Order: sequence, then C-alpha cells, then structure tokens
Amino acid sequence: MSKNNTVFRPRDLKELDRIIEQNVPPFTFVAGATDLMVQTERWRAAANLIDLTSVSELHETLGVKDSSVRIGAAVPYSRIIKNSVVRELLPILVEACRQIGSVQIQNRGTLGGNIANASPAGDSLPVLAVLDANIWIGPARNGKFTIKKIDEIMTGPGQTILGEKQYIAFIEIPFHEREGQFWAFRKVGQRSALAISKLNLAVLGWLNDGIVKDIRICSGSVAPQINRHRRTEEILRDKKPDEKLIEQACQMIRREISPISDIRSTEEYRRHTTAEVLRDILYQTFAIYDL
Amino acid sequence: MRISFIVNGKSVELDVSPKKRLLDILHDDLDLISVKEGCGKGECGACAVIFNGERVNSCLIPAFQTDGSEVITLEGLKELPGYAAIERAYVEHGAVQCGFCLSGFVVSTVAFLKEKKSPADEEEIKEKLAGNLCRCTGYTKIIEAVKDLSLQEDLRRQPEAEVSHYVKK
Repeated sequence: MSKNNTVFRPRDLKELDRIIEQNVPPFTFVAGATDLMVQTERWRAAANLIDLTSVSELHETLGVKDSSVRIGAAVPYSRIIKNSVVRELLPILVEACRQIGSVQIQNRGTLGGNIANASPAGDSLPVLAVLDANIWIGPARNGKFTIKKIDEIMTGPGQTILGEKQYIAFIEIPFHEREGQFWAFRKVGQRSALAISKLNLAVLGWLNDGIVKDIRICSGSVAPQINRHRRTEEILRDKKPDEKLIEQACQMIRREISPISDIRSTEEYRRHTTAEVLRDILYQTFAIYDL
Repeated sequence: MRISFIVNGKSVELDVSPKKRLLDILHDDLDLISVKEGCGKGECGACAVIFNGERVNSCLIPAFQTDGSEVITLEGLKELPGYAAIERAYVEHGAVQCGFCLSGFVVSTVAFLKEKKSPADEEEIKEKLAGNLCRCTGYTKIIEAVKDLSLQEDLRRQPEAEVSHYVKK
C-alpha cells in the first residue's frame, strides 16, 4: 500500500507543524523506533510516518537552565546519561536511563517514545513522576505548548490523551533542593540486564534532622498505569524513620497498589516484591542496617 | 523511496521500502554479511553496527532514517589500525566459538573501548556489553578478552573522526 509508505522527515518544528496541519491523520510519530519496530502488526500498519529524529529541536535540545533542564522528546537516553549537569543534578533520571535496555537501545530510545508508547513497564515514567516533570505537547498554539504531568498523559496500556495530531515535544524537569535529598530507582526483572520490568519503584525525598520532610513514591509496571503511593508517603512524611514506621509503610504499599497478573509476573508476586523493594530502599536510605 | 547514505566510507544509493530494516539493506542488498540477524527484536546485538557514530542494532533502524546517515559495519572496522589486536585478543582468550555473535561483539567492543579513558573492570564490561548475547562461550572468555584490550591505551579513546577518516580512505 503506497499510502502506508508516506514518510515525512521535517527538519524543524515549524515544518513538522505544517506537515501535521496540511495532511490527514492518522500519523505515526517515530523517534528511536525501538518499541515500534518490534510491535510487528502496529509497525506494518503504521501509515504517514513522521520522523521526529530529523526535527532539530526535538533531537538536539538538552537545555540546562538555572532551575530546570529541558530535554527534546527525541534525544536518545545515552545523551542524557552522558550529560554532566544531568548526572550531577538528576542522578535518579540517569539511573533509570541506564537501566533501560542495552547501550544499543540507549543510543536510540528516547523519553518521548517511552511516554508516547505508554507501556505500563516504561522505566522512565515513575522517575519522571517523582521528579514532577512537565511534558510539553505540540503543536504549540501561539507559541504555547500544552503542558501536562506524566500521570495525566497515560490513560491505560498503550493509551494516552494525545490527539491524532499531537506529539510529545519536550520534557522539562525541575532541579530539586539537594540538601538532605535521597533517591532510589529499582527495577525487578527476569534477569538483571535488558529484561522488561516486572515492577519498578522510584523514590525521591528529603531528610532534615533525621525527619522525613517530604517523600514521593511511584511504582511502574505493577498496574496498568504508573501510580504515586500517596498514602504510603503520608505514613513516612514528618516522621523519624525507624523499623516500625518502615513496616507500616510496607504494609500500606501492599494495600495501596493494585497489581495485575500477566506473562511476566503474578499479582501476589508483585504485591509482595513491591513492599520488599520499598523496605530495602528505606532501610538502606535511613541506614538502619547495611545489607 | 530513494535513500543515500555512507557505508564504510563509500556512498550508496538505493531504492527501498521506507520500512525496510537497515539490517536487511546491509546484509541482503549490500552483501555485508558480517551483519547477522539473531533475534530481530533489538535484544541480541548480532546485527550491531556503528550508526552516525553510535552503536545500534540495525534490525531496529528503518530505511527512511538511514537516509543521510553514516554506517560502519565490521567490514569497515577491519580497516582500523587496532583491529588486529582485537582479533588476536578474541582468539587468544578463546572468546570465539560458533562465531555468530562475534561481529556484533566486536562492534560493541570497539565502541566501548572508544569511550574508555582508563582500563575497564569486569562489572563495567558486563554492563556495557549486556546488549550482545552469546550462547556458546558463557561470556567469561569474552570479558577477559575485552578487559585485556582495555589495558592497551592505543585502543582506547579512538576519536570518532579518526575512525570514519580511516575507513573512508
């Protein structure tokens, strides 16, 4: 089918937006293609391919400002991993990117693709949630992008709020207070390298005089969507962490998550292991004992 | 669609379907048979090539993104000054058995060494070579070969420009 083979390779955002305006959807936006090309049916059916890696702003932008970094949706993970400012100020993001696939995948895969594909197992998503990232959605209207939080974009496995003519343009991540900051990103898979997550957990928080000032906990790959665990966070907030408090938090996350059973894991495994991963993170963070 | 790109320093022009995989273009159309299809899903690394200076799995690169790119396969890397040393290390450590994964491993080894400023330890080699699967050796011998190679300063940090420059000649 010749229609399937229409390809657009816009050089900049202006050209991209003009192509979207002048053509009839559906469009298939392509960045690193690492998910798209292995989804054989979807790839075969994909029509009106629009390459986002050819769009200079989306492929090149890694703009560090005083209080945030703005990353183009089509910037590969490896560039994020290698950026010295991001390494220093957003180590949790670097850790998540490093745990996504192999170096060959990191050289192609992108944050924009991870978001737009909306896989429940997307490893960057819980991290973007605890970092309170702003997702800029194009095309911009009168120079303004639509801005959403990560948990507002995904509506179910493979489903997002993105309209047929919309694409992820930038991911803006604020730099957070570093005084007293603690963080962890853990991924549990079939094996340590390359496996799709059975579950992952991102934790970002601040400790002041031994008291948890604030904490954000988000799981991925457990349920159809990523989930912030606000009731678990509540248990830990403004408290001095000890074994009893951590036990309460682990009990709460067991109740708070609603895991699915699928080919990678069962509901009970996910419930149990999420609580144990949280326990491990909190014990290590608060140095209750060294494992 | 008509695409033109550079493979191992030579300009190539082809008429291909935009969704054709770079792997098929290299292996079938250009007869660069070092590029192997293992899993076809981006997991095994048997089809690894250098694409615009970075190692990628060529099974996950569509033809339309190949247009205007620069690709180096094992056939091109063979022209590198350090290639003989890499070949020797793999042989001497017994890191080659059936050989199917080998071109991908060598591509990843070259790319890995290029970014190294100091000798590598085992953990680092395991992480950086995790995208290449080998079903024969059990990896130990491959890791030893790469560790050995990372001790040789002239193999590390070979600048990209130097790689393509040499290959183009």
